[in-house]
Amino acid sequence: MDFGLKPLGRERLWLWIMLAPTLVGLVFGALGSVLATVALSFTHWDLLTPPTWAGADNYINLFTNAAYFKALTNTFTFSAMYVPGVVIASLFVAVLMNRKIHGVSAFRTIYFLPAVTSAVATALIWNLIYGRDTGILNFFLSRLGLPAVCWLCTKNAMMSVVVVNIWGAIGEGMIIFLAGLTAIPREYYEAATIDGAGEMQRFFSITLPLVTPSIFFQTLISTINAFQAYDYIYMMTRQGGGDSSIPVVVFSIYRNAWNFFNYGGASAQAIELAVLVITLMAFYFWLERRYVIYE
Amino acid sequence: MKYCLSVLVVVASLLLASCGGGAAPVATQASASTQPSASGAPVQITYMEWGDPAELDVWNAIVADFEKANPNIKVDVQVSDWDSYWTKLKTLLAANTPPDVFAMDAPLFLDYKTRGVLLNLQPYIDKNPGMLDGLYPNTLTAYQSPDGYFGLPRDFQTIVVFYNKDMFDKAGVAYPKSDWTYDDLRATAKALTKDTNGDGKIDQFGYVIDPWDFEPGMSEIIWAYGGDLINADHTKTLIGDPKSRQAFQFLHDMMFVDKSIPDPNTSQQYGTDLFLSGNAAMIAMGHWAVPGYSEAKFKWDVVQMPKGPAGQATSVNSAGFVVGKDSKHPEEAFEFIKFVESAAGQTRLAQMGFACPVLKSVAESDAFLKQSTPINQKIFTDSLAFAHMKPVFRGYDEWSSTVGDGLTPMWNGDVELNPTLDSIVTSADEVLAKNK
Repeated sequence: MDFGLKPLGRERLWLWIMLAPTLVGLVFGALGSVLATVALSFTHWDLLTPPTWAGADNYINLFTNAAYFKALTNTFTFSAMYVPGVVIASLFVAVLMNRKIHGVSAFRTIYFLPAVTSAVATALIWNLIYGRDTGILNFFLSRLGLPAVCWLCTKNAMMSVVVVNIWGAIGEGMIIFLAGLTAIPREYYEAATIDGAGEMQRFFSITLPLVTPSIFFQTLISTINAFQAYDYIYMMTRQGGGDSSIPVVVFSIYRNAWNFFNYGGASAQAIELAVLVITLMAFYFWLERRYVIYE
Repeated sequence: MKYCLSVLVVVASLLLASCGGGAAPVATQASASTQPSASGAPVQITYMEWGDPAELDVWNAIVADFEKANPNIKVDVQVSDWDSYWTKLKTLLAANTPPDVFAMDAPLFLDYKTRGVLLNLQPYIDKNPGMLDGLYPNTLTAYQSPDGYFGLPRDFQTIVVFYNKDMFDKAGVAYPKSDWTYDDLRATAKALTKDTNGDGKIDQFGYVIDPWDFEPGMSEIIWAYGGDLINADHTKTLIGDPKSRQAFQFLHDMMFVDKSIPDPNTSQQYGTDLFLSGNAAMIAMGHWAVPGYSEAKFKWDVVQMPKGPAGQATSVNSAGFVVGKDSKHPEEAFEFIKFVESAAGQTRLAQMGFACPVLKSVAESDAFLKQSTPINQKIFTDSLAFAHMKPVFRGYDEWSSTVGDGLTPMWNGDVELNPTLDSIVTSADEVLAKNK
């Protein structure tokens, strides 16, 4: 995946000019906020009175705070189901969409629609689908003679929410995989077909190995998205008073900061979340060196 | 290069996201700061409140009256929804550019007062002797402190039972009376709980409460049973005491034995307001619901909260005005507050119909009693006779979230009542200790 073309001479200058707006934003916006978050995580701060030094208090509190532990557990459970789900489902859809079928672009558009639709609006629609007594899903189940399921009750909510999140992410995953799939030379398939390889064999021996860079990239992005997932989850599991029946870490950060005057604690949670994701990424890159095949 | 780039992508997306939550609202801070006035030019002050967009019209009418009486002061009114309001307010306060006057919910008052961001209004009140005379005393209590008033009530809410007359008529059930009991409520609710379309599932409920917020429905029954939410010096949570527990058990039985109160999993299928959608015969609510319910396609009225073994009880809570300590125009800000507290301002507020006026003479006048919605408005003010104040203490927001969140799995039917109350009390008391 090394770059074939390298910028030369004046191009180099233009490269930096074009990148400058983004880089300035990143350095002063994002980086500044990150440093501020790190600093705040070592203070007690309620936003209204000056911060006081807290030492490691906020970090120690992460280990004793039951509500935060619950949020962390939920985030991990969610990610463990969501990441493989997204990778497998979007690869599957991409393989289907990579054929010469009539109206394939219409299908591609349909699969991509969730990515460009307001998460709040789609979550509300899913609430209608999942309703226990009034929902469409249970209506079909009852037609099949099956008992009604309370999809968003505590014991099923995680599964229901993961399904919606995967559904919402297939579109973007599909695009990544389609790009990867189109890069595989046709000749490989032709040669394999001549050698008598069947559909399944071609998939596992050619497609899958050659699409590993895309799988790697998609896993990485999905993991980051999973740890930051919030909108669908909150909209579908929110309770009256602003609580969520599946509180995740991002929700916990928001709540501690804006509802509980606990900006120091919220910052520590944000930093821990970032450290966890970075650790996971390091592991992924280690895996990449061993298993990802670049032509 | 490849690794570098990928690492950069990862780090960049992390940064963007981890800061998004905290950093985004800051962007709004610049918009609301007040203009320092050039000498002679009118002074511009800002009034910020939460509320329904429809309230803006009424406030603009009040402001027009006020500006006519005070030509040298201009008021910019800003209305946001409840959640955005508090986020916006905290950001403005942190940036030392608070709105001059802003709305305060009494229970949250001390969260702000104790952090020193509010102006002591006592010196201004002292310059206007008799200004507080006609106000209902229970609405003033919340803003009192040893150093004086750091806020003043604007309007108040008592909780009453709204009932759908058409549903009562259709079922041949008598309307509730002012001295009814919780047993009457339970029997009435049971008689009005029905499966109206015959699909085997209940779709009309007798009674509905917000089971996460104490104000409408839960605190009233706890007090009526002789229990309480919290002790007087706000160090101990009392919702697990035997009498409070009886009250919880009563609601729990209505929900899970009679099924006359929908549990949250059931009610969320019918939208946010089952009374308005015609799926509930009775609801415990405050006056804020009246303008919305006036659009209902059925006839309805209100009645006092029922009596319990320890008598009749309801909750009174006020919304108030506070002034930012860093306001550049405290004098003008106070003039505006004074105007809204006056008969002229209170009359306009009463006509708005979202709350009850704190000025007794206006609450007893036709401006409040004869509003366009033909219901017995007097019930709201009569209820003051047996009203308990919604608790006001530092850490209220976190405490009420801890309790409300803790109750959720119980109302969802996932856990038992008694152990849940035990564990809530433990964690709620930790919150109280932390906020001391």
